[in-house]
Formats: sequence, C-alpha cells, structure tokens
Amino acid sequence: MNTTAQKNELIFGYTSGNLGEAKSLFTSMYLFLNSIAAKKASIFDNILAQNLSELEGVGLKKLKYTDCIKNDGSEKQISSLPKNPLSRIIGDLNHIDWKTVYKGFNEFKIPVNDNDSVKLIKMDPGTSVPLHSHNGKEFILVLDGSFYDEYGEYNKGDMQINDQQIKHNPTACKSNGCVCLSITENDVVFFGKFGSALNLFTFIKSFFK
Amino acid sequence: MENAKIIDLIKKISEERNEIAFSEIFDFIAPKINAYYLQNNLSVEQAEELTQEVLSTIWLKAELFDPKKSKFITWSFTIARNKKIDFYRKNQKNVANEEDIRDFLYTENQSDDYEIESIIKDITKDLDENQKKLIKMSFFEQKSHKNISRELEIPLGTVKSRIRASLIKMQKHI
Repeated sequence: MNTTAQKNELIFGYTSGNLGEAKSLFTSMYLFLNSIAAKKASIFDNILAQNLSELEGVGLKKLKYTDCIKNDGSEKQISSLPKNPLSRIIGDLNHIDWKTVYKGFNEFKIPVNDNDSVKLIKMDPGTSVPLHSHNGKEFILVLDGSFYDEYGEYNKGDMQINDQQIKHNPTACKSNGCVCLSITENDVVFFGKFGSALNLFTFIKSFFK
Repeated sequence: MENAKIIDLIKKISEERNEIAFSEIFDFIAPKINAYYLQNNLSVEQAEELTQEVLSTIWLKAELFDPKKSKFITWSFTIARNKKIDFYRKNQKNVANEEDIRDFLYTENQSDDYEIESIIKDITKDLDENQKKLIKMSFFEQKSHKNISRELEIPLGTVKSRIRASLIKMQKHI
C-alpha cells in the first residue's frame, strides 16, 4: 500500500479546502508537527495560487474598497490564541477529561460536525492494543511519545494509515507512553483470544454513540 | 502588478494604515477573488460578500504578511479559500474555527515560498496543459469528478485516472 500517496492526498485535500472537519483538524495537526508535510502543503498552496494570479478578474458590482476598511481592533486577537490547532478547539491538552477504555488505554472524543470521528488516544507506557484490523481507514498521528507495531516505530509527527488489509498490534513505548490523534472511518475488528468479546463490546458501544 | 510594488503597498497599509495604498491593492486583487468565488459556484451576492471579508482581512492583518516568506498572491489565495470553507461551515454550525488554524499555519510555517520556488517550477514544467486544467478544475474550482467529466466530455474513469496520474507526477518532485 502506498501510504505516501495517501498522506499527500490528505495534504492536497487540506490545501484545496475540501476535507471534512475531522480530517481537516487532523491534517492541520500533521502540518503543525511535521515540517516536511508543511512544506508539501505550501507547494500545493502556491500551485493553486498561480491559478488565482492567472485568473481574469470580474468587476465588483457594489463593493468598494472603503467597505473593507474596518478599524475595530480585531487584528489584535490573533496573537492571543494558542499556536497548537488542537488546543484552539479543546483547550489545554494537559487537562483532558480522559475516558478509560481499559487499563492503560484512554480516549477522548473531539466534538466535530462530520461523519468521520476524531479522538485523542492516550496509552500508558508499555500498553498495547490487541491484534485488530479496520473496516474503513484509520489515520493515526503521534502527538507525543511513540508507539511501535509490526510495521515499524512511530514518533511525534509521524502518521500511520491503516485499512482492511492491515492487522496490527500497536504498543506504546516503555519510557513515556503515547498520545495520538486518530480518525476512524469505520469500526475496528479484533482478532485472537478476546477478539469476539471485544467485537461484541464495540458493537454494543455503537448503540450509545 | 509587480511584486516590489505590492510589497511597498502592503507596507504602507500595515505601517501607516494608508487607505490609498489599500485602494490599489483592492483594485488589483478584489476582482480576481470575486472571479474565484464565482468559479466556485457562489452567487454574485455571496461572492461579493466573501470578497469583502477577504479584503477586510488583508486590511486588518496586513502586518502578518511577510514578503520574505510568501508571495502576496499565495497569501491572498489562502485567505480566500479559508473564507469559503468558513462560509460552508457556517451553514453547519461548526465548532472548529478553521480560519484561525490556517492563519497560524500560514504565519508560522517553517518553509517559505521562495525556497520551494524551484520545485514549483519543475512541477509546472512537468505537467501538460490537460493535467494543469484538471488540477485547476478539481482543486481550485472544486468541481466534482462527475462535473468535470460532463464539462470536458471525457469518461468519469478517465477523469479520475488522469487526476491521479497528475498527482503522482507532482509527488515525484516533493
């Protein structure tokens, strides 16, 4: 699976403004933490802006430049906002009301108006998730700490994209655990000894969403 | 308009709040932004309303424009696109303020437009006219693959595969 192409697709979607709220927030965090991704985004911004520069203007019917001059001091607001795109939505990242799913594994659902759900996941050092795959795509971005699975190690600013073909067993690193931002397009499917119980659990949980 | 001239005008706006300088910037960019919104299928009224918001932002936030980091046209494009996203979100009672996020990314972005200029040149050289047109229709005008297929009278599958091929071509450079 070519995940580079999928990551670029997210960035392209973001710069052209056609992502839903969940993926848009997710991608903005990716650009915030990953300077290579941010660079790609500015390349695409510039390419799209070339279209604007070549565009033949259409005269304004009513609007005059004087209508656009406002001096209400609102330009000062921007500097007081936190830099982190996620903090701007949910506030201080150190004071999150985590819900424990099982020992060592906590999550927090971020309120967005979208079909995709986006949540924060916090795994205590050494915690692992039982072997599972995904009905739809899952996007994981490491915000802090790191985790590893069958496919490699993922550190702050790294993104992993999983789909139906991928079965994995992620484990948070032993020293400082892992905080991730995750988007799931559909439910997770578990395998192994407790697989059927976990699948039943997510099935029941889906009624209370 | 020449780049040096634009930079001078923006400087006058941010430092002196010079309204004459702003009127020149308005005459240069407002009709283009208006055209962009009309291409994106907004009504004449909506397009003017959003153009007003973009130009107000340019007036208010002129000091955030850093000519060493970015081209004015790219800065204006990102503002215009963000206003469009906000416009659509407003109808859905959004909770996330996208504009602020993007403002931040724009101002704090570690890379600058001039550093990547050669990459952009390579990409534009590498794409043929048809590919450029498809990128423009799909990502700039936000037309669906279905509408592009109808407008250009080529099969939907061909539209999809050509766009994918163009993206792959672009990826080789980045």
